[in-house]
Amino acid sequence: MIAPQTLVFGILALLGLLSMIATYLAITERDLVKAVVFSAIQSTAYAFMYYLLMAPDIVLVYVPVAVGLYPAVVLFLIKKTERYEGE
Amino acid sequence: MAAWERVVIAVSMVVFVALLALAFTVGALGYRAPPPTLRDLAEVYLRTTFNSDNPLFSAMAPEAVTAIVWDYRGLDTLFETAVFFLAIIASVALMRGVSLPRKEVGPAAGMSPIVKTVTKITIGMILAVAASIAFHGHLTPGGGFQGGATAAVAPLIALVVFSVYFLEHAGVTKNRMLGLRSAGLLGVGLTAFLVLAASIVSGVQAYVLQNQPKPTAPIGMPSIVDGAIFGGTLLLFNIFEALAVAAGFTLVFLLLAIPEEEALKVTTGGEHAH
Repeated sequence: MIAPQTLVFGILALLGLLSMIATYLAITERDLVKAVVFSAIQSTAYAFMYYLLMAPDIVLVYVPVAVGLYPAVVLFLIKKTERYEGE
Repeated sequence: MAAWERVVIAVSMVVFVALLALAFTVGALGYRAPPPTLRDLAEVYLRTTFNSDNPLFSAMAPEAVTAIVWDYRGLDTLFETAVFFLAIIASVALMRGVSLPRKEVGPAAGMSPIVKTVTKITIGMILAVAASIAFHGHLTPGGGFQGGATAAVAPLIALVVFSVYFLEHAGVTKNRMLGLRSAGLLGVGLTAFLVLAASIVSGVQAYVLQNQPKPTAPIGMPSIVDGAIFGGTLLLFNIFEALAVAAGFTLVFLLLAIPEEEALKVTTGGEHAH
């Protein structure tokens, strides 16, 4: 039987690892639209982490801003400039 | 991107996280995080946020975070709000003179009828959730900014699915959003002086941003109305802040959705150049 605290810390570690991988992919990806999607994945992992750290007020502002509004702003800017990052 | 660059990025990220974890494990960031003195502070807030046995020192709202944001530390929040709205005013100033070209759109504009029908349903759901987050902010986690940011997702989705011309035709225009945002900010400002105004009429002492009665200022907002927890100024602040934030975000997206050629026409030259 796993203790609830160990389980929460384990899930936190997995979410942290997921956010790290998503951040690496967002940095190295040359297609900026894909990079925004990776960034949103990282934000989703953070939203779950805030929830597990018992900060529901932060979750409620993090979900619409980091998953909805911020990718939308960046996508608008990509549309107005260039989609692919140069060498 | 060269292979060695990817390796450098990956290694530096891993080293950063490993060093941070190591520093935390050996106690460089303190063995007990947060430090014990911070826990005393949290205890004060938890003891006074909703305490009807000690009403002169209580915010009378069960949601401690909203009580701290708008009551204990109301002035800080007022200036944070000012920063957010100065940024929006700056973007409006940057896009001055740029307007959406007149264009009639038929029902075929935007995405397919399936997407449009689903969007019509989800927009209602998003607005309901936003209202619940904002107007219950003094009772459950959430508040004005959270509710307003959630509500702003609805016009954003409509913008993408139905096109900006449809939104303009439906009455979601730049000037209206500017007006709604200003009305919300005016509400936030007036709520800050509400108890002070009442005290001038009744002739007792009161403070700016006061919510509940205090020992030297025996006047305040009602905390319980008809058996329901009202939260005093917290509910009013949340309603007006949600209105201002939702309208502010929508305003920025309306400006961003204007085609780039229109903006370039104004900023690079021509008869309306500045």
